[in-house]
Amino acid sequence: MTGLVYKEWKQNRFFILMMIACGLLPFVMILYNREIVTNAEEMGNFRTICTVIAFLAAGGIQTMVLNGDDRKIWGYWITAAPEGYRGFIRVKYEMVFAMIVLFVTSLRMFDELFCAAAADKGWELTGSMSTFAIPLAFLQMLLRATDIPFTLRYGNKKGGIIKLIFSVLFVIIISVLVLTNAGNIDVILFETGEKLFTEDNLSLALGILCVIAPAAYYISYRISCRVYLKGVEQYDK
Amino acid sequence: MTSKKDCAKRLGIYLLIAFAFSTLLIVLRKPMQSSETVSFLVAELFCASPAVASLITRAVTGEGFRDMKLHLNLTENLRYYLLSFALPLIAISVMYLVPVIASGHSSWLSGFTPANVLACVMILAGQAALVSVGLLGEELGWRGYMNQKMQPLFGTFGTCLIGGIVWGAWHFPIDIANYLSGSGTLRYSLETAFGRLALLACFGVFLMWLTQKTGSVFPAVVAHFIYNASQNAVMMLLEQGNIPEDADLEGFTEAFEYVPFLIIGAVFMVLLLNDKKKALQTA
Repeated sequence: MTGLVYKEWKQNRFFILMMIACGLLPFVMILYNREIVTNAEEMGNFRTICTVIAFLAAGGIQTMVLNGDDRKIWGYWITAAPEGYRGFIRVKYEMVFAMIVLFVTSLRMFDELFCAAAADKGWELTGSMSTFAIPLAFLQMLLRATDIPFTLRYGNKKGGIIKLIFSVLFVIIISVLVLTNAGNIDVILFETGEKLFTEDNLSLALGILCVIAPAAYYISYRISCRVYLKGVEQYDK
Repeated sequence: MTSKKDCAKRLGIYLLIAFAFSTLLIVLRKPMQSSETVSFLVAELFCASPAVASLITRAVTGEGFRDMKLHLNLTENLRYYLLSFALPLIAISVMYLVPVIASGHSSWLSGFTPANVLACVMILAGQAALVSVGLLGEELGWRGYMNQKMQPLFGTFGTCLIGGIVWGAWHFPIDIANYLSGSGTLRYSLETAFGRLALLACFGVFLMWLTQKTGSVFPAVVAHFIYNASQNAVMMLLEQGNIPEDADLEGFTEAFEYVPFLIIGAVFMVLLLNDKKKALQTA
């Protein structure tokens, strides 16, 4: 297993270290645009936007570590290795998870540093971005849980296209349902949303996301193990 | 095989570096009071100092960076990870809630609705997976390095006891911070320091047992995180209750602050000694 960790590190260390830079990104963006933002309220909004941009950048980089291993010869070789393809997939999942953790840690640390520096300048900033960043990190985990099986099953290019087709189909189905109000879905969605996002239930909804995301990530790993060998047969075509 | 002399030397260097960092909180208290940025940077450095000290010691003594116990071993050790989550959470809940109930103030616990408790447990579980890694700064040093060096020198019982005292003493600058800044009495600071020392010595036994059983510092990281975070969670739920301004608990209930962790310390000490006995028999 150590060998696989070493292989991933050698192959992807640039992307892994980029997670720290992504955490620093909002800090840099704020410093770069410090003359545009003139009061604490604007600063709060700007920090939120910068954090979302950092998440998008980090998410893009996280998917890049899946590139390069969609070769038939690698698939056969790792299947015959002592750790097997399951070991390879496991290390891949652990690495992507470690990247999310590294990014969130870096983001929180630089945000707290920014808040401290802002307080020294006399700016009263409302709390750190952690409360906002942690749910986003779980969302990011959910997204990676869907990315990885597609990539392993269909390869990088094809996997991306198939995932895109599924996403577009999903959006179209939801849009059609909402627009035509089939099965009274507007009311159902509105009522569910109203019940879910009340002040009392908000922490429960967050709690459910906190548990569902790691569970989905684990299920995604099991699915990837199941589909990997089928995927290997289709690589290099 | 590392000799006792080598262990003592490495332990000495490690403790010297770790405590040098911790004294920064006292030495730099004036700049920390005047600047939030300095305060943040010094606090972060302090939190990471055991890990930094272990890395410096490994580099300086030429010991290398093997056996840092950084493997997750998640599948094999799932039950230990679950225990590292559940036990501190239960102990902290008992520590805070039993005194309230024993004093006859169950009505203060109105914030503890099933939905609130469930939400807290789930959020803690999620956070334990995602943000507990910050505690690696401590655990990599205390459990991942110090205990390994102490065991050949002091044995299992000695390591738990001395290690716990050292761990508690390292927190001393935090405990006396209020007194030094003029906002608390020395008596209160010392009470806090010795109370923490007793709790950490007991809790450290559990963390040591977890690390030995799993060969990884990560279960200890999770347990340590839950120990810290569950205190905030329980306090947050208590604040939602109807607690009067002049609330006071019965004197006898103060003992409950220590009882859960005393039991944990005793139980896991027995388990550690049993494991050692078995290892000696099979050797």
